[in-house]
This record gives sequence, structure tokens and C-alpha cells, in this order.
Amino acid sequence: MTQPPPPSDLRAAFRARGYVAGDALVTALRLVVALGKPLLLEGPAGVGKTEAAKTLAGALGTRLIRLQCYEGLDAQAALYEWNYARQLLHLRAAEVGGRAVSDADLYGPQFLMQRPLLEAIRQEVPPVLLIDEVDRADDAFEAFLLELLAEWQVTVPELGTLTATARPHVLLTSNRARELSDALRRRCLYLWVDYPTQAQELEIVRARLPGIQETLAAQVTRAVHALRELPLGKPPGVAETLDWAAALVALHRDWLDAEALDLTLGAVLKLHEDQRLARPTLTRLAAP
Amino acid sequence: MTVPAPADLSARMAAFVAHLRASHGFRVGPGEATAALQALDAVDLGQPREVRDALRAVLTARREEVPVFDAAFDTFFRLPGAPPPPRLPPLLPRTDAPLPPPPPARQGEADKERRVPGQSQAEGVKEETGTSTARPTPERETEGEPESLPQLLTARLSPNAGTGGRVDAPGDDLPELLRAAGTLVRAVELGRARRLTPQTRGPRLDARRTLRAAARTAGDPIRLRWLGRPRRAPRFLLVLDGSRSMGQSAALLLRFAFALHLRARRVEVYAFSTGLTRLTPLLRAAGPGEALRLPDLGDAWGGGTRIGENLLRLAREERARVNRDTVVLILSDGLDTGDPEVLSRALRDLAARAGLLVWLSPLAALSGYQPIQRAVRAALPHLDAFLPAGGTGDLAALGRRLRGKS
Repeated sequence: MTQPPPPSDLRAAFRARGYVAGDALVTALRLVVALGKPLLLEGPAGVGKTEAAKTLAGALGTRLIRLQCYEGLDAQAALYEWNYARQLLHLRAAEVGGRAVSDADLYGPQFLMQRPLLEAIRQEVPPVLLIDEVDRADDAFEAFLLELLAEWQVTVPELGTLTATARPHVLLTSNRARELSDALRRRCLYLWVDYPTQAQELEIVRARLPGIQETLAAQVTRAVHALRELPLGKPPGVAETLDWAAALVALHRDWLDAEALDLTLGAVLKLHEDQRLARPTLTRLAAP
Repeated sequence: MTVPAPADLSARMAAFVAHLRASHGFRVGPGEATAALQALDAVDLGQPREVRDALRAVLTARREEVPVFDAAFDTFFRLPGAPPPPRLPPLLPRTDAPLPPPPPARQGEADKERRVPGQSQAEGVKEETGTSTARPTPERETEGEPESLPQLLTARLSPNAGTGGRVDAPGDDLPELLRAAGTLVRAVELGRARRLTPQTRGPRLDARRTLRAAARTAGDPIRLRWLGRPRRAPRFLLVLDGSRSMGQSAALLLRFAFALHLRARRVEVYAFSTGLTRLTPLLRAAGPGEALRLPDLGDAWGGGTRIGENLLRLAREERARVNRDTVVLILSDGLDTGDPEVLSRALRDLAARAGLLVWLSPLAALSGYQPIQRAVRAALPHLDAFLPAGGTGDLAALGRRLRGKS
């Protein structure tokens, strides 16, 4: 098992990839690598939880394997499936040729379709495994994950037990759509990721959009922070801040005024009633 | 922070973990203590913030624990001469000693106590002060303000009316309420889940099982196997009006919420009066065999009513979690002085997302009741059902009344 050494300064490695990581996140990610425990990242949508996993994979120089959870996701779709059509053809061909078909034939590796979890535990180099939005999957899938995260092995009835060659670095994310079980929480390190402070967010905007005008960057971050104070149905995340700033840059705006606001409001507020609610606040913040 | 010797460090860590468990209700044990020590190996012990970040990642498991952990860490590992630590918010009642046994549920005595709320509340507080730091002062525990509510209010004076303090909901009707909750859970039919499970009949062919069966017949899929969608399990969101006007009905409905929480897997309970409080963690901590007692709920119990504002706040807080599997039960008499427009907006939002939106009113159980309250009038267009909740009989009939609504 060969493992690339983790960068001595994870924060700088993240920074080099345009991700401005806070102290707590850097420490938690260091522990993921050092302790081999999964990390559960919780927080509002759009604070960079998924992005943290992608950036970690980049910083460690390893693969990112992503499992997107959804309601109805089952172990089959997450682990492996057999290529039934090819198996049936194989059976047919064997019958025509008068050959006997053994189980080992029928369940050979050529018919096995690996899904993200199986792929993750069969890598030579530990990958970063992102189990995204685990709160969307149902209880049964969560219970299945427990076994995998504890033992790092899975049982394929036809093949036997497969044990991880290299233990992946696992990040789970949750938007709290459903309360996760205590059992899952206990197996994970935990970090609540909140919206960045205004200064941090300004730094993120500068890091991701290097050519942006200073006035515009400051105005956009200030406006987004004012918006998050309002009782919005869908408060803007960091992704929206960046989209908004990028949209204004694309329109060659150097500062935020009423016209620019009209043209780009959809990049930051995605609900009509939120736009109506926020308009007085935004008009006040925009330059006359 | 000075760097301690390893043996000293592991003893300190075990003590810190025990402190979190005993004083703050954290579910941490030797496993977490070991992981915490391993985490300390991976960080710079000369950097207190880094140590705190690492231990927080290991020893907390949910957001609510984070501020409690930070305060506990600062207190436990405080440098000599540092400023005094902040007062800790209570997360859960202490777990190292069992709660005092509930008073014997003799109805006559309970009634007598109710007539002298000042006295019984003061005793309640005295009992609790040793275990928590955020109890109301006795000054708050005086007699409630004189009642001046509309004549329609037949509500009796709540034991906690206008006083704050601990919430007691004694009663020996738990078996009856459990039956009512069971009927309700069974009655709600929300359709089918998206997960596919092996079933005798279903919309999708189960290729895996069909193929396994076909291997025995030389590849001919003679016996087809199917995948079907099981019934969706409902999730309940109960919003309980704990305002003064609700009187004893609030205690009954609180017990019903508790019974439902014991019967269904996913139940969220909120109480509102002047403010809104999530009760789910408190109900989880309560023992199923005991009379229900909750700590001070602050402005969520025994004050005035702000239905609209609180429901709007709830609709926003729970927005991500209210979906078509959710049955929202609002338990309120609808006596509100707030703006009906706000209430209407909140209910429109909830109705658009929830599977079923039901309002239960204790007043609706009275004969000759007309839904003329402003809040109820504003709510009716958005509701799937408006039903009485005057006693255990009404709650037992709830399942039957809701059948076919979903």
C-alpha cells in the first residue's frame, strides 16, 4: 500500500487550490488523515462542504470517489451490481455450445460492475471518498454504511468478503434534511461548517476571482452578509456569492448599482419571494 | 497552555471526557477518550486553539454540543490567572444521578397544588437549582398576571400560567394515548417510498433474483421475480401551543406528543407561546414510564400567543425537513392577537411542502363552537383538516378522522 505523504501545510495546499479553509476545518482534515476516521461535515447548503472533499483529494494527490445520496439509494447502487444482460448472454452462449456454466464462470470479475463504495475500497492508493448529502438517504442505507465504515469490508454473496486494500479518507456531508443516527455520528469526527465571516468571504472572493475590483468584491460580500441576516427561504451560500461576483465581473461592472442589481439578482437569490423581501435591503446597499 | 507529560495527559483526558459526560450529557466514553489522545498526537500541543479544534472534532457529534464543548474546554484547561469562564448553557440534565422521582399522581392533591402556583413553583425551582445554571430566579416565579382574556376562553388556569418554570404534565392516561398514537400512525397513508424492495408483485423486474432462479433452468428466466415500493413511513411535526389560554389542554397535548414520539420513529415536537422551542431532545431524555416533566421552557410555555410569527419561524427552520412524508399537526386554540396575514403565509408555506397539514383545537370540542377566531379563519383555507382535541376520546378518534385525508 503506497500512500502519498500529506502536505505539511494543508492550509497552504488548500489555499493554492483557491479554497480558503478555517482553522477548525484544517485541523479536522488533518485528523481524518492521521486517525483514519471519517469526518461528518454538517452545515447550511453552499458553505463549501463538498468542495472541501474535492480540494482534499487534490491536496493529497489522490482520487476523489463520490457517492451522491438520494432517497431510495440502496446498497446495490452504492456498492456493486452484476451485468445481468451480459450474464444472460453468457448463459445462452454456453447452452448453445453445450458447455456447463459454473457459478465461478457466471460471477466472474468481467460481469461485476463496481459502484463508488466498492471502487473506493479496492484502490491501491487511499482515495478521498465523499459520501455527499448522507441525510437524503434513508435509515436502512445509513445502517449499511455503519458496517462499512467500521469494518472496511463488504460481503458480495457470490465472491465472499472483500477487505479494503487501502483505507479511504472518508468525508460525509449533511444539510440536516434528516436527523442522522447517534451510531453514525459516534463513528465520525464532527465539524459544523458555518457561513464564513465577512473578512473570510472577501478573501474567498479574491482567491477565486483574482481579477475582481476591490470595491465590487467588498460590496458583494457586504450585501451577501446583509442578506443572510434576513429571514430568507433560501439564504445565499458561498457558491452564490462567487456566482454573483462572477456575473458582475462578466458584465464588466466595477461596483454594485441599482441596474447591476436588477440584472444579476437571480444569481444570488433563487426564490421570487426572497427577491421581493430582500429588495429594500439591497437597494439601500447598492450605490446610488 | 503548558505541555503535560504523557501519563498526566491521558489522566487529564479521561477526566475531561468524564466531565463532558457527567455534567453536560455528552455521549462519550473510553473509546472517545482514546481517539482524543490519538488526535492530540497529530496536533501541536503548544497551540491551545489547535488542541481545542481537534478535541472538538473528536468529542462533539452535533451542532448543539459545540458551544457547550468550547465553554467546557476553556473552563477545564484554564490557565491560572485567566479570566473567569463563561456560564455554561445546559445541554441536557445531569446524567450522573437519576432525576428526583415524580410526585405520586393523585389527582386531588395535584388540583390542590394548582390553586397555589407560587408555592409549588418555588419548590420546583429549589429542587432544580443544584443541577442546572439557567433556572429562573424566584422573583419570576410569583403569581401570574390577572387573567383578562376574551370570554370565549373557557380555558382553566394552567399550573404554569404566566410563571415560566418547570413544566409538569402528570396524568395516568399514557396507555390510552399510546393507543391513540398507534391508531394515528397506522391511519396515515402517504403512498409509496422510492426504495425498491423484493416483493411478490411490483413495477420492476428484479434482475438479480430472476437470474439466480434462471441459472437453475439453463438461463431461461421462467420464474420472474419483482421489485416493489414499500409504503412510506410518515414523519410527524407537532407544534404545540403552550400559551396561557390553552390551560390543561396543553398538558394533555404534550403527553400526546410524548406518546406519539414513543410510537413513531420520526417525530419532531416544538412548543410555542411567546417564543418557539424545540422539545424533541427533552422528550427523548424523558423516561417512558414516568410522568412527563420538562425543565423551564422559557417563553415557549405559559405566556401569550404569537401563532403566526412562531409558525413562520418554524416553517423557515424546518423548511428542509418538511416534505411530502411529513404530517404537520398544529395543536392550538387559535386565540391569537397577531397578524393573520403572517399566519396565513406560514401555513401556505407548510401546506405546500407537507404531506398533511392538520389543526387540532381544544375549543372545537365544545358544543356550539364556531371557527370565528381570526387566526382559525385565516388558517382554514390551507388546512387538510381542522379537528377537535378536547380530551383523550378526540385523540383516539384522530386516526379514524384522518383516514383518507392523505
